[in-house]
Amino acid sequence: MRRTARLLTGTALAVAAVGLATAPAYGGSTESLEVFPSTVVPGADVTVNTAACGTDGTATGDASAVGAGIFILAASAHEQDAIGQFKVPPSAQPGTYEIVAKCSQGRQVTGDLIVNLTATREQIHLPRGHVNTGVGGALGPDPVQTAAGVAALAVAAAGGTWLLHRRARGDGI
Amino acid sequence: MRRVSNTAIASVTVVALCSGTWLLHNGAQVHPPPQPSAAQAGTGDALRQGAPALRHSPPERIRIPSIGVNAPLMGLGLTPQGSLDVPPAGEKNLAGWYQAGTTPGERGTAIVAGHVDNANGPAVFYNLGALKKGSAIEVARRDGGTALFTVDAVEVYAARDFPDEKVYGAASRPELRVITCGGDYSKATGYQGNVVVFAHLTGSR
Repeated sequence: MRRTARLLTGTALAVAAVGLATAPAYGGSTESLEVFPSTVVPGADVTVNTAACGTDGTATGDASAVGAGIFILAASAHEQDAIGQFKVPPSAQPGTYEIVAKCSQGRQVTGDLIVNLTATREQIHLPRGHVNTGVGGALGPDPVQTAAGVAALAVAAAGGTWLLHRRARGDGI
Repeated sequence: MRRVSNTAIASVTVVALCSGTWLLHNGAQVHPPPQPSAAQAGTGDALRQGAPALRHSPPERIRIPSIGVNAPLMGLGLTPQGSLDVPPAGEKNLAGWYQAGTTPGERGTAIVAGHVDNANGPAVFYNLGALKKGSAIEVARRDGGTALFTVDAVEVYAARDFPDEKVYGAASRPELRVITCGGDYSKATGYQGNVVVFAHLTGSR
């Protein structure tokens, strides 16, 4: 649905662009709506600005494509841009959305906003709670040391027995 | 044949007796894995920018030179209770990563976990609690590159009060968590918590 709508909008814009191209030139860089940041995660704040509305121009923004509704672009001192803000809904799905601003004088500019989830992975269940990564096996008796100890004690017992034998035979201990 | 002198036999016997006693005594002692000191806790420098994020690429190995770790990584999912699954306990030199989440080096929080020990003794992350701020962690990736992380903090959290958001939550820069068991230990309930290493991407090669 959205793709179809986008396609239609694109077509309409292309037609409009052709119309503009044949009309007296307005200066290329003022035609677009700047979207910052242009790639966001759901829940983010987005600022848009445009110089297309001229000095002291205001505009009505439309971010309903991404579910954020209508917002106002006010005139600002900053390079005579009209500036507005909206919040991407936390429920927004990944995709590319067209943000539209219509100047009070009637001109319309658009910019793209990309929503993705790589930073938040909201649709993926994050792990919860602690991780069971040990059973205490390092805490019990060390089997290697224990075996070595038993072997050493066996040697001691053999030595002791040998000495006792010698003494019993009168070998002079 | 020259007879072995009584003195030699007696000496060997005494040495064997002493060392045997020491070995048995020491072997039966409890040697808990190292735990981080309070000085390694987080300082809230999470806003410091690191290296630019890398593209998505699954990790293959983790290396932590300062504690001698060099282990392959397997993909991990979640248990039915929603906690992070763990590698098979029998494999003492194997760690895992949460494969539904961020890959290490990508923007966001990548999660790696491994055992501190198993029934036979120490395992891959036995010395994780000995890491210090500034320690290096390397993750070799399937794309042939290596993501280089620097440790920001090493913390211990009790299982019953585990800070899910801090450990697993989203990050605006490429970050890594390395998790193993830790905290107090009791025979009845096992380890009471987790050692969690917080690191962020500082380079790649």
